[in-house]
Amino acid sequence: MRILVIEDDPVLNRSLAATLRDEGYAVDVAFDGEEGLARALEGVYDAIVLDVMLPRLDGWAVLEGLRPACPVPVLMLTARTAIPDRVRGLDAGADDYLTKPFDSEELLARLRALIRRGSGGAGAVIEIGGLAIDTAARRVTVDGAEIKLTGREYRLLEYLALHRGEVVSRARLYDHLYDENDDTLSNVLDVHVSNLRRKLGCDLIMTRRGHGYIIP
Amino acid sequence: MKTPFHSLRWRIQAWYAALLFLVVVGFCATAYQLARVHQFRRADRELFRMERVFIRSLVREFEAASGQDAHRVFAPQELLERLRRGGAGVPAELAATFASRQAGYFYFAFCDRDGRVLLQSANFPEEADLPAPREVAEPWEDVRTVGTRRESVRIFPEGLVAVFGMDLSADVEELTRFAWSLSGIAACVLAAALAGGWWLAGRALRPIREISRTAVRIADGQLEERINLAGRHSELTELARVLDDTFARLHAAFEQQRRFTADASHELRTPITILLSETQRMLKRPRSAEEYRAAIETCHEAALRMRRLVEALLELAWQESGGATRRTVCDLAAVAAEAITTLRGMAAERNVTIAAKLEGASLRGDPASLGILVANLLRNAIEHSPSGGRVEVACGADGSAVWLQVRDHGPGIAPEDRPHLFERFYRSDRARSGGGGNVGLGLAIAQTIARNHGGGLEVESEPGRGAVFTFRVSCWDEHGGAEPV
Repeated sequence: MRILVIEDDPVLNRSLAATLRDEGYAVDVAFDGEEGLARALEGVYDAIVLDVMLPRLDGWAVLEGLRPACPVPVLMLTARTAIPDRVRGLDAGADDYLTKPFDSEELLARLRALIRRGSGGAGAVIEIGGLAIDTAARRVTVDGAEIKLTGREYRLLEYLALHRGEVVSRARLYDHLYDENDDTLSNVLDVHVSNLRRKLGCDLIMTRRGHGYIIP
Repeated sequence: MKTPFHSLRWRIQAWYAALLFLVVVGFCATAYQLARVHQFRRADRELFRMERVFIRSLVREFEAASGQDAHRVFAPQELLERLRRGGAGVPAELAATFASRQAGYFYFAFCDRDGRVLLQSANFPEEADLPAPREVAEPWEDVRTVGTRRESVRIFPEGLVAVFGMDLSADVEELTRFAWSLSGIAACVLAAALAGGWWLAGRALRPIREISRTAVRIADGQLEERINLAGRHSELTELARVLDDTFARLHAAFEQQRRFTADASHELRTPITILLSETQRMLKRPRSAEEYRAAIETCHEAALRMRRLVEALLELAWQESGGATRRTVCDLAAVAAEAITTLRGMAAERNVTIAAKLEGASLRGDPASLGILVANLLRNAIEHSPSGGRVEVACGADGSAVWLQVRDHGPGIAPEDRPHLFERFYRSDRARSGGGGNVGLGLAIAQTIARNHGGGLEVESEPGRGAVFTFRVSCWDEHGGAEPV
């Protein structure tokens, strides 16, 4: 899952990005509206955290630039509590709204919900046969027994599970699972896929030669 | 409990009615009395005339009978004698007058000291009584009203008692009619005046209702409501104006309080979010010592930012409420020199030099506030100077004013930003220094201090060519604020 944080306060931006990275998300950051909009339009993000008060282009203008072409889920952050502001944000195409100061756990839960909804799922637990992925606790069980996964393995599994039935290309996986700071050499997808197969069984993730991977 | 007499309109009306009633009743009573006296006087004249006519005619008859001179003065003693002698009657030419009892008829009676009737007219009323006989030293006479009759009574020392009367029923009737018409007129006048008074009182008090309605709306929280009484200049429009002024000042005070709270909460949200986010992140799982250190530094920065913000907000609130009222003579040059000394460290950090050209500029003011003003201008200039830049500070006095100028050679201020420059929390580039010293209140505070001193702060700038901030206080200050010495 790759998330873009558009927040002009450098300290808050840094802290939010660190929080999200700790949760295993790939995170890119932008400090003003123009930069944020340009990055968001690349279309590689699974969710965007957007502050309202931004230099150069405010949050609403960014939303206007995004919609309707780009359907990525947007969570707006604002220091204003007034209801008309929230209504305006939601009407402009924001998917959710948080007022500063907010609780990190709430931010994470709302982001998870936005990402699930964006992929068509609704519950926090994805079940595939005997396999259960708890996206809130980031735990994977097979027939009730917990399987230990590394952060990267989990991200890969979660992404494929959320897009179950779709053939996901390697390029798309690179786009969505790794941010611009990740060292691509250490991210050889094949290694993670074979690790997952070893831990969860060979028939879970299928390879479509020349296309990508799929959880059928 | 609210009774009609708690209402001002009712009370005014009641007093007005009572006064008016007294005046009208007094007027009518006087008019009636005057008419009555006039009527009785006329009746008395009539009565005396008839009396004279009768006596003369009676005497003429006696004269004719005795062959004496008719023009001789006739003494009561003689009349008494004649009447006692009997045989005297009502003179023929007056017999008709003293027979009828038509309204306005005359009657008479003579009697002696013993109450014996010597002669009386045929129409002498049965209910009329003769005066009680008594001794008198000299002729005694009285005019009295008995029922609807007017009587003149004379008692002579010789023992003759003469009663002449006249029926007044017509006059009394006329007076009664007059009294009724007076009452009618009085009632009409009273009713018309009361109705007019009620209307007038209502009209005069209508502004009070307007005022109280507005006050209620204001009390309900619609602070921007005003009375704005239209109409001519009166005591009530004056009152409304005073109240409007008061409401406006209260509104401004509330607004300032509200803005302070809103600004504080709005601006505190970001550092609090940082604190929450960092601490929650750190508490989620064990970290390395470096990570903890970095997080604590971030939290510390956020706390410092909140402190600067709260201090600046309190300073602004203090200055906006008028600031220090004690004014002493101080030299702007000394104040500026002190501010420069304090900020030299910050300038050196950013590799900015400060050039000062300070000339004596004495004024009456609060040195501490002026120090904040100069420091804020200077800090602003240093922050907007490029590395290796130069900030120039100058002050002096020219004829009618003292001035202080701070010039920087930074990027300057865009024309669209200039009108908002002194607004609180307005940051021209909208970019934050993120934990830097700028909380967006420095220029707002400086402007407020300048105004508190009866002066003003102005800015000249062109994009790319730096900015010049000038604080200027005029000599002739009618507000008792700063003044050059």
